[in-house]
Amino acid sequence: MADSTLQPTSAFSHLEPTSLPGIAIEPRENFTMASFAAGKGRLEALAAAIREAYGVELPRRPQRVVGNGIVFVWLGPDQWLAIAERTNNRDLEVELKQRVAGLASVVDQSDGRVIVRVSGPLAREVLAKGVPIDLHADTFGVNAVAITHASHIGVIMWQVDAAPTFELAMFRSYADSFAHWLLEAVASTVPAAA
Amino acid sequence: MARPANSPSRDPLQPQRLSNGGLVDRSRTIEFTFDGRTYKGHPGDTVASALLANGIVLAGRSFKYHRPRGIISAGSEEPNALLELRTGARREPNTKATVAELFDGLEATSQNRWPSLDFDVMSVNSLLSPIFVAGFYYKTFMWPAKFWEKLYEPAIRRAAGLGRAADVADPDLYEKVTAHTDVLVIGGGPAGLMAALAAARSGKRVVIVDEQAALGGRAIDDAATIDGRPARDWVRAAEEELAARPDVTILRRTAVFGTYDGGTYAAIERVADHLPQPKDHHPRQRLWRIVAKRAVLASGATERPIVFGDNDRPGVMLAGAVRSYINRYGVVPGDNVVVFTNNDYGATTVTDLIRSGANVVALVDSRPKPSETVSRIASATGIKLLNGAVVTRAFGKKRVSGVTVRTQTGAEVKLLCDLVAVSGGWNPNIQLTTHLGGKPAWNDRLQCFLPGALPPSMSLGGSVAGDFSLHKALSGGAAAGASAVALEGAKPITIVVPQAADESDAITPLWRVEDHAGKAFVDFQNDVSDKDIELAEREGFRAVEHLKRYTTLGMATDQGRTANVNALAIMAEITSRTIPQTGITIARPPYVPVALGALAGHHRGKSFKPTRLPPSYKWAKEQGGVCVETGLWLRPSYFPRKGEKDWLDTAKREVNTVRSAVGICDVSTLGKVDVQGTDAGIFLDRIYMNNLKSLPIGKARYGGMLREDGVLFDDGTIARFGDHHYFITTTTANAVRALQHMEYCSQWLWPELDVQIISATEQWAQYAVAGPKSRELLQKIVDPAFDISDAGFPYLQVGEITVCGGIKARLFRLSFSGERAYEIGVPARYGDALMRKLWEAGREFGACAYGTEALGVMRIEKGHISGPELNGNTTPHDVGLGGMVSKTKDFIGRVLGARPGMLDPNRPSLVGFRPVDRSARLRSGAHFIAQGVEATAENDDGYMTSVAYSPSNGHWIGLGFLKHGPSRIGEIVRAYDPVRGGDTLVEVVKPVFVDQEGVRVRG
Amino acid sequence: MRIACPYCGERSLDEYLYSGDATVRRPDFASPTAQADFVKYVYERKNSPGQHRELWYHAAGCHAWLVVTRDVSTHIITAVEPAKDVALGTASSMKDTA
Repeated sequence: MADSTLQPTSAFSHLEPTSLPGIAIEPRENFTMASFAAGKGRLEALAAAIREAYGVELPRRPQRVVGNGIVFVWLGPDQWLAIAERTNNRDLEVELKQRVAGLASVVDQSDGRVIVRVSGPLAREVLAKGVPIDLHADTFGVNAVAITHASHIGVIMWQVDAAPTFELAMFRSYADSFAHWLLEAVASTVPAAA
Repeated sequence: MARPANSPSRDPLQPQRLSNGGLVDRSRTIEFTFDGRTYKGHPGDTVASALLANGIVLAGRSFKYHRPRGIISAGSEEPNALLELRTGARREPNTKATVAELFDGLEATSQNRWPSLDFDVMSVNSLLSPIFVAGFYYKTFMWPAKFWEKLYEPAIRRAAGLGRAADVADPDLYEKVTAHTDVLVIGGGPAGLMAALAAARSGKRVVIVDEQAALGGRAIDDAATIDGRPARDWVRAAEEELAARPDVTILRRTAVFGTYDGGTYAAIERVADHLPQPKDHHPRQRLWRIVAKRAVLASGATERPIVFGDNDRPGVMLAGAVRSYINRYGVVPGDNVVVFTNNDYGATTVTDLIRSGANVVALVDSRPKPSETVSRIASATGIKLLNGAVVTRAFGKKRVSGVTVRTQTGAEVKLLCDLVAVSGGWNPNIQLTTHLGGKPAWNDRLQCFLPGALPPSMSLGGSVAGDFSLHKALSGGAAAGASAVALEGAKPITIVVPQAADESDAITPLWRVEDHAGKAFVDFQNDVSDKDIELAEREGFRAVEHLKRYTTLGMATDQGRTANVNALAIMAEITSRTIPQTGITIARPPYVPVALGALAGHHRGKSFKPTRLPPSYKWAKEQGGVCVETGLWLRPSYFPRKGEKDWLDTAKREVNTVRSAVGICDVSTLGKVDVQGTDAGIFLDRIYMNNLKSLPIGKARYGGMLREDGVLFDDGTIARFGDHHYFITTTTANAVRALQHMEYCSQWLWPELDVQIISATEQWAQYAVAGPKSRELLQKIVDPAFDISDAGFPYLQVGEITVCGGIKARLFRLSFSGERAYEIGVPARYGDALMRKLWEAGREFGACAYGTEALGVMRIEKGHISGPELNGNTTPHDVGLGGMVSKTKDFIGRVLGARPGMLDPNRPSLVGFRPVDRSARLRSGAHFIAQGVEATAENDDGYMTSVAYSPSNGHWIGLGFLKHGPSRIGEIVRAYDPVRGGDTLVEVVKPVFVDQEGVRVRG
Repeated sequence: MRIACPYCGERSLDEYLYSGDATVRRPDFASPTAQADFVKYVYERKNSPGQHRELWYHAAGCHAWLVVTRDVSTHIITAVEPAKDVALGTASSMKDTA
């Protein structure tokens, strides 16, 4: 919307990209996202349409799959969240509505959730201070997805790489509360300042 | 009494400190104060070991009788040595000296004494002890009842309790962590270490937890030998091996305090209690939730005292604790010692005492014949052995100075001593096996309760299983660890169990000494003596659960760990029953005291719950908006301007501006749900009470949802964007529950329907733009391609548009205020910018921002229902929406909503009220009473739900439910409010106070 | 307590909401005995020990409604099935060893 007089605002009032020994955190908001849910009896046709359009298989369990310029995150039974960089006015709601018309209900979620990336050897230790699920490499792992909560805030989270890097998506209105908890968890994990 | 001539040289500043031995770091000396005096100790000491090193045993006064009390134990079972640690905001009462680790500069203070520990006025209670028997409070303070609140309770509260809590907020941080593991090993003694090694070597994930700062358990306390070398060397090697494995977590200073369903355990880690204060940003304590596929309980055992006369005198100590002080801390707690035991383990204390240079005055063994172990010790050390003898009474006041012993022949002899080491046998620490209801099982050979049925996925290792000898503990632990991982699918591995002694566990029960003189205590912390148990029995409180509650036995912070089994054994004796017949109380969490701060973790103060901020929050704060919590949301309630004296002043101005010009309000917090699918219309028809089939595309309609019992659940609007595409709003408060309800209906009630329900609450920043000039204002925002004239965009029209040069938006012509009004939604990232744009554009129209106060006033003026009317008791008929209820379709709440009682015209129903005296203020919660009748519950005609000062009317107005309300318009009733002293005459009016014809919304 | 969501895996109790008896089904509104049927459906429950079929909602997870077979005396769960499948009669009675 380059020609609009409205400029987007960050949902985070005090979370900046931060890198500390063993851990880095970064708010990520510049995405276009859309959720879509398969229509009744349309699951296989939907999977075929996605395969056709993006060359990937929609995950049927809590996983994500990385396609060309798009990521599909399992969002519950027969539901997914599609995520792409918000470049060239790309709008996944519009794009998916065209590609899966009649097969799935598509809803724009580009602004509903914001993402925080947590990365580094201390990431699991930090996240364990709010996330109740097991993030051990043998049980979670790259591309694993979980819908759970972090410090009483609902999150969809997934592992990006083995660094390990995790991304946690939460409803926009919780951004500051989430950041407040995360920064406290980071501060209590990294070695204390002298 | 003099120190024995052969005693080794000692540090003159710490007279009871041995020159070597123990885990303390003698290379550093640190200072601490106790009751204002400065003493020295070493890193590695507990406060108790440091006090004992300085020759101090008197640590406090008892709870009820204010008797002088000393240090009894060396662990978390300590009932007596409870101190106040630190000062100021970090002052913490009732801290166990036997657990608290020493640090440089620690300030410790004794409790429950005044003016000083040496001279305590309240010890007069001890002389009054015949009065302070079990059940004292129940019997004494029953009558007259009115004295309780004013007289008894304050007096008791002053006299009772131990330490003083800090009187300012806790400055420290706490945190909560979840850990997942294959095997949780509870206890880092020899059995626990073996279990952890066995599990870890199979490659499984292991968490091992120990209460103390150093692992090793009784192998360290007893200075045992493992594989021919000192146990501490073996422990260090085991620790190093475990620490080197990436999937092993060792948690020291951590106590597992609760067993929960599904293999979940709670533990408290004292991260920084051994430091003057926590490191910056680091927690003081950490609460662990540990989810374990298997658990090995290797929690050890707790020694129990023997009940004899004045057995609470400072210097009477558990034998195992004496060994701990010698071997773990290098402190010998006395110089001339009587050892009193009924078992072989107790007798071996003699060896440690002699080695540390103490004089063993006598070994008093209640068993008639010397066991093999006792004979061996006696002949090796040459000490005086009194078999078949018992200590009947200790003497000395602030420190024991001797004991009276009744010998096998019945003769009484006095022995002088400054320490009595007592062992009545060991109670396995079975508490964590009983938290889920497991019943302990009595073992007659070992004279103790062992775990009965175990929680699923728990196994046992070491003395908690009755394997008291070091050899048995090591092999039992190894077996438990190996079988735990085998059950988790690991390949079996061979564990070589190290060599260790298989000491005798022989015991002959002795619970209390018959015909003792003086007071004989069973529960030290709650001052319960054997006489109290006898009294309880005489008064019929024989069941253990009754005994516990009547005498308060076992109900103190130590959970009666040194008391419970002795008490029920005495009860068994008195009632001529066996111990299993008598039974045992079941322990509940927490096994050790847990700070409330640790249970809260991050969630305290403003972080108690997360806060949700609406898209215009930052703008609202810049404008001086005053925010209120509505659920988790923080919403602006009003925007004060200079010269306005209070919220009411501001709200009046905001209402007047909306009604005369235009106002803007952030309504993003409303729940928004996108409903799609070929059956979306059918689905919505089934969850709303009103008919939605006729809703055309591009229109919105008000709708109400009922619960299945016919009560109103929520209301909102349904907008239709396409054949199979609807967008509904719910109230802010019910957003989460409404979505849950819809998912219940779509997944459980009607899974055959093709409907997809997706929350879109946070996708859209939504603003109400309300007032006669709202369209003119919007015209400046909405892109010119879209016609929003009254003809092109009439009341209840909805549409997908663009604003500000191409930003996608949704426009709804809805009104809560009763004025011409719109709700405009943009993607939330543009919410802040749109608010600023609306504000800028609204200047020429005299626009204001309004908050929830003005919103509330205007909806009351229009008689729109909200939370106070949707209160979980009301039906559509009650709120005047009976006409909306469909008679032609099935929907949730239809059948039960049609029960005669739900339609009874006698039910209070919605009407409006205004005060007869127009200057009077109304209050919600007032009850309606007809004039001329008494204000009784029988005459209650209903209640006021919402009130507001109406700027449009110039007086207070109210909404409420009144019996036969609609037929009583014009009647004067009392609004009776006894709680706040209100009794106001009000006139019943139609529940609409502004624009009764409803023309303004259409413009 | 931990419940193994058939979609998300085992999660702690704090992610779930309990929502009543899964053995009752919503009656036909058009039946002549509808009112009595609905009263029974909404209000009448046996408070028996032992095994129950319960509805749970994975509120903090995937939002699936589940039918949980649970012994209310021991809290031992023997099966967790998607409510949708149970309602449609297609549940494959997933066994959980918890």
